[in-house]
Amino acid sequence: MKLKSALLALTLAAFAGTASAEDFPKGSVDYIIPFGPGGESDITARFQQPFFEKLFGEQMVVNYQPGGGGAVGWSQLNNMAGDGSVIMGINLPHIIIKPEQGDVGFKTDDLAAVYMFHYTPDAIVVKADSPYMTLQDLIDDAKANPKQVIFSGSGKGTANHLAQVQFDDMADIESTYVSFKGTGASVTALLGEQVKAAWGYTTVGAAQGDKVRLLAVAMEERHPAFPDVPTFRELGFDMVSGAYRGIAVPNSASEEVRTQVSDAIKAINADAEFQQKMLDGGFALVDVGYGADMDAFIAEKAEGYLSAARSAGIIE
Amino acid sequence: MLEFVVGALSPLNLLLALLGVAAGTIIGSIPGLTATMAVAVLVPLTFTMSPDSALILMGAIYTGAIYGGAYAAILLNTPGTPSAIATTFDGYPMAKRGDGDLAVSVACISSVIGGLVGALALLLLAPPLAEAALAFGPVEYFWLAVFGLSLIAALSTGDFLKGVIGACFGLLLAMIGISETSAEVRFTFGSNVLLGGVETVSALIGLYCIPVLIDLVATPDRHLKAPEQTRGFRLPEAFGLLLKNKINVMRSSVVGTMVGALPGAGGSIAGLVAYSEARRTNKGKPPYGEGNPGGIVATESANNATVGGGFIPTLVLGIPGTPPDAVILGALLVQGVRTGPSLFADGASIVYTFIFGLLLATVLMLPVGLMIGRFAYGAIVRAPKAALVPVVAFMTVIGTFAIRNSLSDIAIMIVLGVIGWVAGKRGFSVSPIVLGLILGRIAEQGFVQSWTIGEAIGNLWGQFFGRPLSMAIIALTLLTFFYPFLPRLKQVFSRGPVQAAPERERASKPAVARDLIALLIAGGIALLALQQSAGLNPEAAVFPETIAMAMAVLVLMALLRLALTRHVSEVSVEGSWLRMIALPVVMLAAVFAFPALGFAITAVLLGLALTVIAQHDRYSAKSWAILLASVTGVIVACTLLFSEVLSVPLP
Repeated sequence: MKLKSALLALTLAAFAGTASAEDFPKGSVDYIIPFGPGGESDITARFQQPFFEKLFGEQMVVNYQPGGGGAVGWSQLNNMAGDGSVIMGINLPHIIIKPEQGDVGFKTDDLAAVYMFHYTPDAIVVKADSPYMTLQDLIDDAKANPKQVIFSGSGKGTANHLAQVQFDDMADIESTYVSFKGTGASVTALLGEQVKAAWGYTTVGAAQGDKVRLLAVAMEERHPAFPDVPTFRELGFDMVSGAYRGIAVPNSASEEVRTQVSDAIKAINADAEFQQKMLDGGFALVDVGYGADMDAFIAEKAEGYLSAARSAGIIE
Repeated sequence: MLEFVVGALSPLNLLLALLGVAAGTIIGSIPGLTATMAVAVLVPLTFTMSPDSALILMGAIYTGAIYGGAYAAILLNTPGTPSAIATTFDGYPMAKRGDGDLAVSVACISSVIGGLVGALALLLLAPPLAEAALAFGPVEYFWLAVFGLSLIAALSTGDFLKGVIGACFGLLLAMIGISETSAEVRFTFGSNVLLGGVETVSALIGLYCIPVLIDLVATPDRHLKAPEQTRGFRLPEAFGLLLKNKINVMRSSVVGTMVGALPGAGGSIAGLVAYSEARRTNKGKPPYGEGNPGGIVATESANNATVGGGFIPTLVLGIPGTPPDAVILGALLVQGVRTGPSLFADGASIVYTFIFGLLLATVLMLPVGLMIGRFAYGAIVRAPKAALVPVVAFMTVIGTFAIRNSLSDIAIMIVLGVIGWVAGKRGFSVSPIVLGLILGRIAEQGFVQSWTIGEAIGNLWGQFFGRPLSMAIIALTLLTFFYPFLPRLKQVFSRGPVQAAPERERASKPAVARDLIALLIAGGIALLALQQSAGLNPEAAVFPETIAMAMAVLVLMALLRLALTRHVSEVSVEGSWLRMIALPVVMLAAVFAFPALGFAITAVLLGLALTVIAQHDRYSAKSWAILLASVTGVIVACTLLFSEVLSVPLP
């Protein structure tokens, strides 16, 4: 058996070693997801995987390095090879909020973000048989019964949590937020009627179909997959928010490598089939490339997230 | 329906199922290599292969890996996957007394039965079971974790107080890192290494495997009792045992299916719950924990049933039941398969082909598993100690690294191993510590969530104790907890005055001193945890503070008992201290050498050093050459397997 596995390893190694390319990618690329499998970061990476291979003829190997809500991976990113062979998923608001909560081994500025490729807009989700038909129903109940409207959501100091804080403030209500480990657990609690509603994303609506109802989505325009669901802005709440996801490289990467990775992710985003898959999944695409655009984008988002987190008492 | 059966039975799919089960079994048998990793590596294949074939391959690997975890549990006292923790309780004692071959066969048959029950439930009962699983809220998860913890009473037969102190220690270990419920950094002592917490699988490897290795090098005795002659698979005996345990195997399979259907609970809890129920209802001899095959039957049937069970929420609700399910769900989404109740109603062919493929793979596991099991048993029983120790030690190192590509995890694993060894010798058995570590996070999350909800609705008491499902779990917990004490209670009630317990010998002064030091260290840990909790926000502090307080009280009770009775439970240390100390020291040195010398060179040096440490017999130059060459060969081959086939970025 040991001999066999060695032979297998050798044969496969021979196949893997025959790569030859000039620019990026030079060979297979390790795509590290700093979370466990099954979350939005993993699923979108899996969406990208075949398109990367189609466009560049090289493997993109998805690895998981979970722990500390992403902090384990991000704190180690800069020790990895900066030649374009390693890229890592990054998430807003995580990379902005976490370093403010204590020493988590990295600062926002340490991460060389090269591309933001999509976001999952915040949305209030209820079960299909919930008495809340509209957002106003929920607000009325929350006004009549302070704290009794209980939301589930994924994590603390996350997009879900900040959305709850912001919306409570805007609608002048007091609701309760229960943190679950990931969207899957949060939606389980919603479906099991452990909570009255969930602060989730548009993706929850896509995954759960007619078992749930979205009351409003935090986008500028309605999501094409949910033409009947109003935006918060339409209902008078100025909320455009969610979790933004992108790619970072180790900070030892040259300007050239950064640009190349950025262009590669951009090319995947431009593929019509990829776009359709993402929209069907409830995601919303964004294109923020490496350079001044990225710096401005992160700076702008950081301001909003940090002020929300401060007013919620999540950070000092 | 028939066309799906035919689809699943195509020659290619048959071959894939066979290969998948074999590969999965081997992967699962290596501690640290998990089903999640194996399945994740295969995802890109689904893009080029037809999706149903790829899914069958993934399902086969998954189910094989869960079974493969039993080998290391039985033969090395080290669960290859967390699902096999409870397999060690009776499997290793059986192997010790020379029944390792029988234990492996029993594990195989039980796994097949459990796997079939789980897969059939997936085929026939998926939508209603998924609905039922939703009734489990945060409170129920909390009580389920407490139920798992109630096994401590049974697992620390030697010394109950020390067992509970150990469990508290394990619970506190689980609190290290960034808290899930409050996102606050806790108990890291300023070190980034501890940010992500103690990784469960690497902790299991350390706590269970390192003590075995230390004891192995200490003396020249054989690892396991070798049989006089080969006895084949001992199938008639194994089937006889299964027949005797027919209620046990059915109950455990059902438990496994249902726990598997709870998103986030997983195989380790299923195995523990099934084990504890089997133990409670057992009337036969020997007792559980001393090598009763019933313990293997319960755990192995339950953990393989979670494979089918876990796919229930994955496919019906789109919510993965276990981490490997999450990977498979991702692959399905990429294929454009939308999960949900309609998936079953519309009879999406891909799902039914997959389920039949899973059933097929499970059936194939019987011959494949028996054969690989026989090989594993033979290899471990016959291997000379000087080859076994370096190879197993190398596996623990590379396996730990591969879990999340972290060198510091290896160091944590080795340090925990030494702690586990010392604790074991001092009468704190390792299993309660592991139970605390595994169940700690689930218990804390459930607790904090229930507390938040209870406060919001203004009914904390009702939230924790008033829900019918909770009450049922609480009742079972009490039953399990007090069951080990039942004989003594009966005595109290039936015979009136309590018979004086047989007078135990008072321990020697040095033994009392040793116990005193151990208890004082435990007390120190509790106080340190209390001091560290003081600065945290209430959500992050409530659980560890409660545990630390309980631990401090328990230590005081143990100190009082020591002062009054002077009874000491400890395990004597035999053999060479030099070798025992050299093993962890050399392994730790390797961790620091990896970045400097590269992985392969360091690993070979580590293997050779450990060969010398484990070598007791006099060898000729030729035997030395063969020994060293084969150890080097295995290490190089495994390194290649990890770096090239499994794409692990070795340093």
